[in-house]
Amino acid sequence: MILPSLIQVLTLGVSETAMLVPHADTEPVATSDVVVATQHWWAGFILYLPLISLILCGLCAAMKVKTKLPAWITTACLLGSFVFSLLLYFDYGGSPELIPILSWINLNDAGGNFAGFSANFTLYVDSLSLLWVMFVTGLGTLITYYASEYMEADLGKGYTRFFAGVSVFLFAMVALVLADNLLMLYLGWEGVGFASYWLIGYYYQRPSAVAAAKKAFIMNRIGDLGLALAIYLIWTTFGTIQYDELIDVLRNGSWKEAYEGWTIDAIPWFLMLAAFGKSAQIPLYVWLPDAMEGPTPVSALIHAATMVTAGIYLVARTYEFFLLSPESLHVVAWIGGITALVAATIGLAQYDIKRIMAYSTVSQLGFMFLGLGVLTTYGAAYHVFTHAFFKAVLFLTCGAIMHGFAGQLDLRKLSGLIRIPGWRITSIAMLIGCLALAGFPLTSGYFSKDAILAEAFISQGPGFEALGWIAIFTAFLTAYYTFRVWFRVCAGKVEYEPGDEHHGDDDHGHHGGSFHPHAPRFAMNFVMAVIAIGALVAAVPYFLDTKADDALTGGWVADMVHDSTAQGGLPGLDRHGQSIGDPVEHGHDVHHGDGDHAHPTILGMDPHMAMYIISGVVGGLGLLLAAWLHLFRRQDADRLKAALQRHWWIAWLPRAMERKWYVDEVYHGLIRAPLWVASHLMYAFDRFLIDGLLVDGIARIPRMIARWFQPLHNGIVQSYAVTMAGGLALIALLMILFIQFWKVGGGG
Amino acid sequence: MIWGWILLLLPIAGALGVVGSSARAAKSVALLTTLATFGVSIAAAIEFKVWGSGDFGLVSSIPWLSEVGINLSIGADSVAMMLVLLTTLLMPLAVLGSWTAVSERLKEYYGWLLLIEAAMIGVFLARDLVFFYICFEFTLVPMYFLIAIYGGSGRARACIKFFLYTFTGSLIALVGFLYVAWCYAESTGTWDFEIATLCTFAATELSLGQQLWVLVALVIGFAVKIPLFPVHTWLPLAHTEAPTAGSVILAGVLLKLGTYGIFRFVLPMTPDAVVEWAPILGILAIIGILYAGLICWVQTDVKKLVAYSSVSHLGFCVLGLFALNPLGLQGAVLYMINHGLSTGALFFLVGMMYERYHTRDMNSIGGLAKRMPIWAFFMVFFVLASVGLPGLNGFVSEFLCLIGTFAAGESGSYPGVLGPWFAAFAALGMIVAAMYLLIMVGKIVFGALKEPVNEDHHDLPADLSPREIIVLAPLAVLCVLLGIQPGIAMDAMDGSINETLAVYPDIVKGAIQQVTDAGSTVLRGGMNQ
Repeated sequence: MILPSLIQVLTLGVSETAMLVPHADTEPVATSDVVVATQHWWAGFILYLPLISLILCGLCAAMKVKTKLPAWITTACLLGSFVFSLLLYFDYGGSPELIPILSWINLNDAGGNFAGFSANFTLYVDSLSLLWVMFVTGLGTLITYYASEYMEADLGKGYTRFFAGVSVFLFAMVALVLADNLLMLYLGWEGVGFASYWLIGYYYQRPSAVAAAKKAFIMNRIGDLGLALAIYLIWTTFGTIQYDELIDVLRNGSWKEAYEGWTIDAIPWFLMLAAFGKSAQIPLYVWLPDAMEGPTPVSALIHAATMVTAGIYLVARTYEFFLLSPESLHVVAWIGGITALVAATIGLAQYDIKRIMAYSTVSQLGFMFLGLGVLTTYGAAYHVFTHAFFKAVLFLTCGAIMHGFAGQLDLRKLSGLIRIPGWRITSIAMLIGCLALAGFPLTSGYFSKDAILAEAFISQGPGFEALGWIAIFTAFLTAYYTFRVWFRVCAGKVEYEPGDEHHGDDDHGHHGGSFHPHAPRFAMNFVMAVIAIGALVAAVPYFLDTKADDALTGGWVADMVHDSTAQGGLPGLDRHGQSIGDPVEHGHDVHHGDGDHAHPTILGMDPHMAMYIISGVVGGLGLLLAAWLHLFRRQDADRLKAALQRHWWIAWLPRAMERKWYVDEVYHGLIRAPLWVASHLMYAFDRFLIDGLLVDGIARIPRMIARWFQPLHNGIVQSYAVTMAGGLALIALLMILFIQFWKVGGGG
Repeated sequence: MIWGWILLLLPIAGALGVVGSSARAAKSVALLTTLATFGVSIAAAIEFKVWGSGDFGLVSSIPWLSEVGINLSIGADSVAMMLVLLTTLLMPLAVLGSWTAVSERLKEYYGWLLLIEAAMIGVFLARDLVFFYICFEFTLVPMYFLIAIYGGSGRARACIKFFLYTFTGSLIALVGFLYVAWCYAESTGTWDFEIATLCTFAATELSLGQQLWVLVALVIGFAVKIPLFPVHTWLPLAHTEAPTAGSVILAGVLLKLGTYGIFRFVLPMTPDAVVEWAPILGILAIIGILYAGLICWVQTDVKKLVAYSSVSHLGFCVLGLFALNPLGLQGAVLYMINHGLSTGALFFLVGMMYERYHTRDMNSIGGLAKRMPIWAFFMVFFVLASVGLPGLNGFVSEFLCLIGTFAAGESGSYPGVLGPWFAAFAALGMIVAAMYLLIMVGKIVFGALKEPVNEDHHDLPADLSPREIIVLAPLAVLCVLLGIQPGIAMDAMDGSINETLAVYPDIVKGAIQQVTDAGSTVLRGGMNQ
């Protein structure tokens, strides 16, 4: 079905590529020979297993199972998914594969020349989707295992519901990642939104959880609108929404003949809106910090593996569209950079450790978008990869603390955890996570962040150099607020206050008024340890031999991006996936224009080398500052804050940072409240004007006509009365309207 | 073919049976009849044989007033057959759903239910205009009594408004129909009320001016039924006051008579005028989507919220109808079915809640997930189907309507007169739908448990009874099935839809050409401006 057109496009593509690229001596990378790999039919199980898990959990719920069975089912199924992903990775031949599963929406025109619409459940396996699906299912399995212990207070209550939700989450994420067309991606896209709604609202009797869940879903819907419009645009322009066909058309330039108008330029902007919604960037980031209303394993899932990385994935997947419109990439870079900074400043001023981690996710996602914008898809993908590990471990350790200290998350009320028996693994795992997040030299986060930062100086774009310095400053803030948490909570002298959450009745050691934190047991410790080790080991792929040529830095992850739709954003490659000869000349035709610039430097050094030094120094400084204010002389922190608050010109700053720059309030005031009032006005309009005045008024006409035809019977007085009554009615109506508006205005 | 007649007569026979039986047996008779009708419709669907083509199946004709061209001729194309299936499926569920809710004047109640079923089936099966119109109007009578006798406290006003409003609309449509028939008689010398004949005649012989008048008359009639903004205000009232089964039938099938009317009459009869007027109707549909959606957002009465959401949802359907391409039209017809399933189920759910608590006020009830987990599960499920979550049915139809509208630009093999701007504004409805439906769920399903004191005793269990689960489960299964394999319906209806659209590309191209020649592209949201 696709093959004939594919062959045609392929042959066309090769000749076109040869003409466009000056260095035609190298063989073009044959990205377009997508094969239908029916021998990999079993890859479907990556997708089926979470679904099977959902069905089995549903059965458990129906049979009112009160044991940990749902957790074991889900863990086993997700482990199966992970194993199948690994098998697929080792059996992957190097060129993208299509694995058909099920038909979905197909529409062919009987008449002939209508392009037809086709979106099926087919898996698209290339290195990028493999990279994603491996860490999604791998971390998903571990987090589920952790949750089997974490959620045990809810056994027989919401336990099954929780694991059913996790199954939906993983199913949707896998569908998103493995989709071969944008509509199936959309299914996963909305699916993760729905799953997050389910899980954030897990404690459904708590109004704040319900509100957070609703907010997440609606904010995501705004992004989804962007994706929907992008799909309409892409289909109307290209007649297809399948990656393989789109990439072929885009790479070989054959769209240029058919193309007129604004549609192609508009596509990346809508995709961007979608990605910003899902990956919590300005202006749509406000849902993510609230998403911590869900149980902590959910936060770990959302922030690390599933959900928020979907936006990065979408942009990487549709990178060719962005390459066609350099301005869109500039905006991606700037929004990413600014989000990174703003979120970091908010994280700086929070006291709730889980909330700090949530803002750090927003901030780190900003780094990833910065990477995408400055043309290092590899840097972004690598940062997604390392971030998945260290953010997971950070949330899981936060969860362990919350679990053990009855919901206590305030860093002022916890101290010296590492010295409390049973909390060593938690503290060390958290330390590893913090080191990686802070970008401490030689940790995984250090290398992945550098890959992005260096590229900000190498790529040419409006103000990219300033953006690079902003990002470096943000890295400093990151190191500071990360270690603010660790030094406060894990180091120092032993001191703690329990929280006020009793989610296991007397399960938390409230015996006789004294409180004993209960330390994590095997499942939680095991998972935290494994993921912490993963966060350390995630630095290794950076040094693994790369199969591509010397121009390519970045090791294994770069390989994983190289054979995919995102190869246009690899340093040293042009957008046809070919080496552009001079290995020093990073970047490619889009951002380098004529490509004849002097090699950029930072402070007179090679950018990569300089960045290793700068970010090492900056990270160290942040850590030292945190050590001073939050470990050695904690009273200085309070004194500093008090000093700041004494001066009116600066006193607003810490408050504004703590109140998240009032963004929620601004949204409420500028968008929600006016819309609310407008809706009330419309309702009043509907009842009084359309229904009352028009409909009922017209319905009265026949009666009135009948009266007018009988003037003799009633005389002049009667007609006066009619007029008066009518006039009074009108006045009364206006008054009612006025009162209604006034009440609405006051109440809304 | 005998199947069509059985389908029509069985509910009528059942109604007679209900009247003849005792009050105790009434609901059993009604249930058996509706189940039998459903069985017959399945048999008819198997016997139908013209799935996928544009032809009519189950064709049969009995001479009636043949001298003036009026016959009792029935038959269905695949779209009509789908809607018949939807009707016959919903009816046994409506009967089961009323099992405990209605306790007085049972014989009348079930009699009216069966009569309305016959009328609705008649509308979809009619191939004769007069027969169609009789059935179309007759649907009002049972519904009037269902609201007037079994409705809520404001039922008197609601049923009169419902009746007069839709009756007036239908009369205006009748004028349009009669005008076409009269023109036909003028030009050929004989009267004929065969729908297909009149459609062909009107499409080819009437001038643009004449078609415009016909279109206005028909659209007014059908728009009231759909209902399209601004003639929608009877709907919230009627829905709020109607008994549960009445609301289900109203939302599930009666509203679709309007969109079906547009599909069956407006599109084939007045193609030139449609091309001229589609943008205006499209704008009304978009206003309806957003306006009604925002009104939903500030409702406190759950049933009214669901009622207004119908106005909003059917806006998508109307857009799909006037997209004039296979995507949009497939989407629109699917939307009719899907909306019937999901909104029908929502009305059932609201009714089940009302039966237990005797309130629909979102502020005085809350957190029912704690008390009624199964009910909560279904509520969230159908809300998600309604919101258009991919994987469930609502998504497919909404997506197709919108992409069809979007693609209805001036180029391509199916050029249209809507275009990206229409789709972009309509798509905002996706966000609004999430807003109002999730607020509703957040209030009544989640949150702290808040139960109003209900003095009345009822025999219902706290959570859903098996009977109530049986009412909802088939709808849920169909929602999933049509969400994952919409091809079952789409392939079946392909032929009819292409047939309906066959004349349009040329007309649209001609119209675009004319406008381009005139140097104005007002009202055309084309791609290339």
